[in-house]
Amino acid sequence: MSDNVQENVQENEILIDIRDLSKSFGDLKVLTNISTTIRKGDVVCVIGPSGSGKSTFLRCLNLLEQPTGGQILVEGDDITAPGANIDQLRRKMGMVFQQFNLFPHMTILENMTLAPIKLLKKEKAQAEQEAMELLRRVGLEEKASSYPAQLSGGQKQRVAIVRALAMHPDVMLFDEPTSALDPEMVGEVLNVMRQLAKERMTMVVVTHEMGFAREVGTRVMFMEGGNFLEENEPEAFFSNPQNERLKAFLGKVL
Amino acid sequence: MEALKEALYLNLIKDDRWQYLTEGLKNTLLITLFATLIGIGLGLLIAIVRSTYDKTGRLKILSGICKVYLTVIRGTPVVIQLMIFYYCIFTSRIFSGVFVGIIAFGLNSAAYVAEIFRSGIMSIDEGQMEAGRSLGFNYVQTMRYIIMPQAFKNVLPALCNEFVVLLKETSVAGYVAVQDLTKGGDIIRSRTYDAWTPLLIVAAIYLILTMVFSHFAGNVERSLRKNER
Ligand SMILES: Nc1ncnc2c1ncn2[C@@H]1O[C@H](COP(=O)(O)OP(=O)(O)OP(=O)(O)O)[C@@H](O)[C@H]1O
Ligand SMILES: [Mg+2]
Repeated sequence: MSDNVQENVQENEILIDIRDLSKSFGDLKVLTNISTTIRKGDVVCVIGPSGSGKSTFLRCLNLLEQPTGGQILVEGDDITAPGANIDQLRRKMGMVFQQFNLFPHMTILENMTLAPIKLLKKEKAQAEQEAMELLRRVGLEEKASSYPAQLSGGQKQRVAIVRALAMHPDVMLFDEPTSALDPEMVGEVLNVMRQLAKERMTMVVVTHEMGFAREVGTRVMFMEGGNFLEENEPEAFFSNPQNERLKAFLGKVL
Repeated sequence: MEALKEALYLNLIKDDRWQYLTEGLKNTLLITLFATLIGIGLGLLIAIVRSTYDKTGRLKILSGICKVYLTVIRGTPVVIQLMIFYYCIFTSRIFSGVFVGIIAFGLNSAAYVAEIFRSGIMSIDEGQMEAGRSLGFNYVQTMRYIIMPQAFKNVLPALCNEFVVLLKETSVAGYVAVQDLTKGGDIIRSRTYDAWTPLLIVAAIYLILTMVFSHFAGNVERSLRKNER
């Protein structure tokens, strides 16, 4: 999938710069003053207990949730500024949901070509050819004319990933992509993500798969109570955690 | 047998009385068809306004106006609405009864169709909107390509039912001097002093229309659904 990564990937170039990000729902403060950066080629894995704000953090990155404070700069542009072109921005940020969210009234091929045709103004034939190529890479080309209801959970999620890739995003956001899957299907989805990481796709992955975070992540971040309490490269993160809460959390999940 | 033949002759053949029924049927179908078009068009608009307000908080004033409209239309009898349109609003008789009927039944139907569409839109999982938006579609595009096609499919049975209801409801069009199917039967009755024959024939025609339409609607619905499983 190397053609999904920009030709002139400048390693270490900052892709997303998050400054003092806060988010409240009414009186409920979910994220408090988060600052971090995501660089090109990073595979950032976010872990943490339920309700700690992981999804909210991820959804703020493409403004599915509107931050209530702070700034998010994507490739230098402040996307939280009034008048920022959100729709344009989202084309560059693929998102994969826990519940797949394929469009049930369309075939797999239509699911994948809708946005490239309507938004990128691609020729239908061209869009379909690219979609077939992507499907081939995840081993689903024979499902092109099936409907989502005819696919297993693992197949649906692989389609959801390549549907996002068809827009040639600069970064992929994953919100617990394997949590809704039967255990025997987790592997096939993680393999696709592993492959993506190998091809230097920038990824932010909220996950409970510690093995994946350790093996594939370039950086692991621990969120609790609406902030990142610890972040490190995976080896040190898992073998030598510093924060007491993280130690307790890892004690429970590992 | 002879009596039946005679009754049919008296009520249909003599003086070309069958023309009351064909003329009436034509008007009934005209009103139903065009009222349905108005109902679907306007109903769709109202539904989109209302569900946009429900989901995003935008279009507040417009949504309020729609709410009032729905409350008034659904809270009063259609005959009264029809008569108000005919005797109060379109008072000039350059407006035919059929025209007024189309407007009145169309505006009435829109209120019910709007609620049908709205429930269809609200039944679509929020994840569909999020998936559309995250691909870069704006709100309107997401509604158009992703939400509405699914909502439409979901509400098709209810829409067809609304069409059948409307077809039957137009039978009060006689109140404003429209010679519809019901009125046609009634005129024959007043000429022949035979109530049974014309009324049963009229009832049979309504029944056939609704059955044929329901059957047709069922086929369309099945072929739409087949795709998904
Ligand atoms: N739309 C919303 N309105 C109100 N509160 C919300 C909303 N979305 C999330 N929250 C609250 O924000 C907090 C963080 O939620 P979030 O979904 O980000 O947690 P999470 O870390 O992703 O949890 P999980 O592992 O269970 O997915 C929770 O207390 C949740 O109830
Ligand atoms: Mg979550």
